[in-house]
Amino acid sequence: MSRKYRIVLAGNPNCGKTTIFNCLTGARQHVGNYPGVTVESKTGEFMLGEDEIELIDIPGVYSLSSSSPEEGVAFEELMKPGIDLIMNVIDSSIPQRSLYLSTQLAELHIPMLIVFNMSDEAKKKGLKFNIQKLQSYFGCSIVQTVGSRGDGIDKLKNALAESLLHLEDHDVPKLTYGADVDDAIHELEEWIEPAMTDRIRHIPARFFAIKLLEKDTCVMRLHEFHGLDAIIDAQITHLYARHAITAETFMADCRYAMISGACRDAISFTQERRREISDKIDAVVTNQWIGLPLFFAVMYLMFWFTFTCAAPMTDGIEWLFGWIQSLIERFWSPDIQPVLRSLLIDGVIHGVGGVIVFLPNILFLFLAIAFLEDTGYMARAAFVMDGIMRKFDLQGKSFVPLVLGFGCNVPAIMATRSIESERDRRTTILVLPLMSCGARLPIYALLIPAFFAVKYQAFVMFLIYAIGVAFAMLAARLLKSTLFKGDGEVYLMELPPYRVPTAKSILLHMWDRGVMYLQKAGTIILGVSVLLFIANNYPEKKTFDVDYGAQIMAVASDTALSPEEQADAFKRIERMRHAEAAEYTVSGRVGKFLEPAFKPIGFDWRVTTAAISALAAKEIFVSQLGILYAEDAESAGDGEDEQEPLRQQLRRAYTPLQGFCMMLFCLLSIPCLATLAIIRRELNSWKWMFFEAAGLFVLAYGTTFIVYQLGLLLKIGTNYLL
Amino acid sequence: MNDDKSPSRKAGASSCSVLNQGESTLAELPVGEVGVVVSMKPSLRGRKKFADVGIVPGTRLQMEAHAPFGGLLRIKVMESSLSIHRDDAANIIIRRQDRP
Repeated sequence: MSRKYRIVLAGNPNCGKTTIFNCLTGARQHVGNYPGVTVESKTGEFMLGEDEIELIDIPGVYSLSSSSPEEGVAFEELMKPGIDLIMNVIDSSIPQRSLYLSTQLAELHIPMLIVFNMSDEAKKKGLKFNIQKLQSYFGCSIVQTVGSRGDGIDKLKNALAESLLHLEDHDVPKLTYGADVDDAIHELEEWIEPAMTDRIRHIPARFFAIKLLEKDTCVMRLHEFHGLDAIIDAQITHLYARHAITAETFMADCRYAMISGACRDAISFTQERRREISDKIDAVVTNQWIGLPLFFAVMYLMFWFTFTCAAPMTDGIEWLFGWIQSLIERFWSPDIQPVLRSLLIDGVIHGVGGVIVFLPNILFLFLAIAFLEDTGYMARAAFVMDGIMRKFDLQGKSFVPLVLGFGCNVPAIMATRSIESERDRRTTILVLPLMSCGARLPIYALLIPAFFAVKYQAFVMFLIYAIGVAFAMLAARLLKSTLFKGDGEVYLMELPPYRVPTAKSILLHMWDRGVMYLQKAGTIILGVSVLLFIANNYPEKKTFDVDYGAQIMAVASDTALSPEEQADAFKRIERMRHAEAAEYTVSGRVGKFLEPAFKPIGFDWRVTTAAISALAAKEIFVSQLGILYAEDAESAGDGEDEQEPLRQQLRRAYTPLQGFCMMLFCLLSIPCLATLAIIRRELNSWKWMFFEAAGLFVLAYGTTFIVYQLGLLLKIGTNYLL
Repeated sequence: MNDDKSPSRKAGASSCSVLNQGESTLAELPVGEVGVVVSMKPSLRGRKKFADVGIVPGTRLQMEAHAPFGGLLRIKVMESSLSIHRDDAANIIIRRQDRP
């Protein structure tokens, strides 16, 4: 008989819950070696024999309370009715700390299964467990696994099936916190029982009694217990007096005392070999003097890797699209369905192809980020950068999201949830779009080689990224000294031991990102490219202001011109005719209408339309220029021109100063719509989203204006450096 | 940053009289040295958070490193490595121990 079960996966941050989740459900959720990778609950399903299992992965927490957004999410998820079983994953190489959460979960009296994950590392450290004893202590089964290798997953499934058979008559752990505390709990229970309403009746009164003794804000807020303040305070005062303690941490003390009691019996060290290698690496990596230079070297290496190693593959893809285009041109005569042919070549190949060319860069960037995440270096980077970040009123924890922002702003903004301080979190979210994401990379990769000599290219690329970082830091400082003024909160971050990342995990992360990029190219960018193609071509101009035909006739009949001069004249006339036609189209009209506003920052109407359409996705800036200039080339009717790469045309149309201004504007301006949507969700406010968009636009326009006008004045970049 | 460090330093100095023989604050523990938590000063913020990761009286700690440019300390607690801020560490009282 098939049944449906709901199982919640709970555990400390970075204990490998998501790895277990992936092993069981076959999903490919992102895992990393730093605390707080899972920031919202994720649900997966799998079949266990005949039974259907719904598995819920909640954010990692140290305790079942509400001192951070993740703890809030986890707490809420566990308070929901209808949970059949809690699967508590613990990092068995640090059993004492990990079992602290288990003692709290056990008080929910929901059937539990404890997974001693990372048992290979526990073994390396020389830890030995008396599983039998621990099982009877917590009143549930314990399974040992190595999630990263998939070891023990079959055993885990068997134990799960076994546990599900005994849901009705599961053991209830009898945890004791010492006679006085237990008395206080009992007394409170008497008061709580009648106050409970239906919505929380599935949770034992004992659990609430313990939480109320701890003055847990989440539980204190429940309206059911509002009348009990005096009784709770009386119990607490009594306990404090008995134990001569003055803090809300005595429950934590009791739990650790209880665990160390259990551990003394059931856990033993066979040899003292603790974190040795990890500690040795950390002695260098987090060293007061070497740490920072090493960090900058790592960042430099990451960018070098992204741009240099991807170059040959980028060339290959460029060649491939050129080849496809020439194939279509050869076998599809311009007389058959000319509009469709032009849509395919100019809209699809130039628009989408122009974006796919940068796939290798994206893949290598994410490969580098995944490597840093999985080894555990990110947490160290946060540690060594904290001092500098604090100079800008940010903190080390803001740092990991900011680096992730180089990949994509959307997951980076979600990653800010591990920052407890709400003010720091909001500041980090608001400055994050200034971190130049992977989607802006194609813009630089197109423009830099077009306008700058090879020896300057790396420097200009670095400069663009550095400008973004500098603005982010200054903006953070500004926000923290105005809108988000106030004291910082307690800083606490765990540095996980270094782990050799599995090739599978890193490649999977890269692969997922690659697939996402291609999906984006195949959906949003394809769709917008087609729309832009239409906007760039229609309405068609039938009657022209100038009689170009007559001009051509005049040139053709002018015998005084040499054949070369004639050809040049034809080309010039053709270009003028095309320019007039282009200005008549929808993009032309919109661009022309806005051109006066963008002229002071060096944009003509084409760049203006590209900058506007880049709101859908930043890569579209490249597509739009590709489409606009592809037409130019084709309608010029010159076989050579048609093959001429976009860069050469750009070089003909703009100065390096304008090229630089385009990049600057794209870097600083309003992020893509997906990023705006996630900002709205994370800050839970439309007002902030509009504030962000308006603020960034003003920043981008102002900065580009100053740079362009200064450049014109000082004649920097108005001629070619080449 | 320097501005708000001075008052906390002062607070640390004035309550030094509370410290018994052989006790010091966690912030003063040199790199590589080991100590056992004795108590928390009432001025410690986020007491529960520290308790949740195992920093409670009786816990053994080792100072592992100081971060560049000030603030953070890396300490070893119950086999895991934590980074906390110096200002908070100045509110945790420990008793120095000989290294094992």
